[in-house]
Amino acid sequence: MKEVTIDCLGEACPVPLIKAENALKEIEVGDLLIVQIDHSCAMKNVPEWARKNGHNVEIEEVDDGEWEVVIEKV
Amino acid sequence: MREKKVEQYDVVVIGGGAAGMTAAIYAGRARLSTLIIEQALVGGLATNTNEIENYPGFPEGVTGKGLMELFHQQAKKFDVKFKLTDVRKVELEGEIKKVETFRNIYEAKVVIIASGGRPRVTGADKEEDYLGKGIAFCATCDAAANTGKTVVVIGSGDAAIEEGIFLTKFANKVVVSIIHDEGKMDCNEIAKAAALANSKMEFQWNTVVDHFEGDEELKTVVLKNLKTEALIPIDCHTCFEFIGYIPNTDIFKGLIDITNKGYIVTNENMETNVEGVYAVGDVRDRYLRQVATCVGDGATAGVGAEKYIAESEAFVSHVMKEDKPGVAYVFNAIEADQRELLSEIEKMELDYKDQYYFSKIDVYKSKGLANRLGVKEYPAVAIIKDGKVDCIITENISKESLLKALK
Repeated sequence: MKEVTIDCLGEACPVPLIKAENALKEIEVGDLLIVQIDHSCAMKNVPEWARKNGHNVEIEEVDDGEWEVVIEKV
Repeated sequence: MREKKVEQYDVVVIGGGAAGMTAAIYAGRARLSTLIIEQALVGGLATNTNEIENYPGFPEGVTGKGLMELFHQQAKKFDVKFKLTDVRKVELEGEIKKVETFRNIYEAKVVIIASGGRPRVTGADKEEDYLGKGIAFCATCDAAANTGKTVVVIGSGDAAIEEGIFLTKFANKVVVSIIHDEGKMDCNEIAKAAALANSKMEFQWNTVVDHFEGDEELKTVVLKNLKTEALIPIDCHTCFEFIGYIPNTDIFKGLIDITNKGYIVTNENMETNVEGVYAVGDVRDRYLRQVATCVGDGATAGVGAEKYIAESEAFVSHVMKEDKPGVAYVFNAIEADQRELLSEIEKMELDYKDQYYFSKIDVYKSKGLANRLGVKEYPAVAIIKDGKVDCIITENISKESLLKALK
């Protein structure tokens, strides 16, 4: 099982979501995709999109105003 | 399956709304390692409210989001950790409780349930397409955007009718869909009279939502008359649904006491029927659901958690020793005769402290330790052998009877 991290720091919506969508296509079921973000709008739409598609989602606050959205492909 | 990472905390709070964050602030300030698990955004339901004018301390009013951000900062100040994910499973029995997310298992001495609830929806066709795009649940939040427009309100309870009246201050017309026969509403009589007298309100009796129509945004709510089966399309800007509230308690079913409506039952100390598990805020069976009431719940549970953990530690290290038999005297310090007996026990302690150990438990402040011993009436003495309660003596407590029991 592998882990892929994409850096979306400094990027506003919808860029993180599009990047996440593309990256998720490339990985296998069971793999983890970690999306690093610092725009709070992405904190809403990235997890919402991932959950809607049935994936497992967890958000970790790395620093003040900086998060990692962890998505497990299902 | 990926191996789940196990982490230990003193307190795990499920839900990061007003109640959960307040509980965490109290626990964190008491130097308990505290984790909040929130499935969506920190702040909970209060963040949906644009203006909170009745939360004390903010005479100019405050936005729900702004207020919750302050709660968040305060919790962080006391080193509360936040994890944004949903809880999949809990194990609540026993000393160490488990809270499972998709990647982690959190072990905790205390679990505080602050999972709140969500508005009930009609389940009508195409409803999902318009949630947040014309279907709303909070008049306070969305009223101003409907100035001069037509809105539909679903429901006839206190919330529906009172919010409906509020909406007439902005909207041109408020159409209320009510499931009952003409003249019957679920709300209080005062609200009902005010609504019926309000010229901007129009009532569709015996109706439910059949389906929703629109393109990107909602355009039309199509009601159905239950008696005539007739479809009644109503063009509107927003449809407000006020048909109740569903507590988020699915994962706790069968594990703790829950009312038939799904709310968690607690006593006034926010304790559920499972030791070390508390419930606070909107998820709890209670009279009023406001930020102010959530804060009170949270404070109570936070302090309760601290006491419970301190007692657990004292219980293991001082009361239930294994090396020699013990005498645990349980008494109420405000009763004179029980204080007298205390001095008897203390005299005995001087003579026998090498053979037995003695603990004195005052129930005046907290009954926690007494409950753990299984002592329900006072005064009483629990005789402890091999780290377990051997017997409980409630009558004729004397040096002789205790020595006999200790043999």
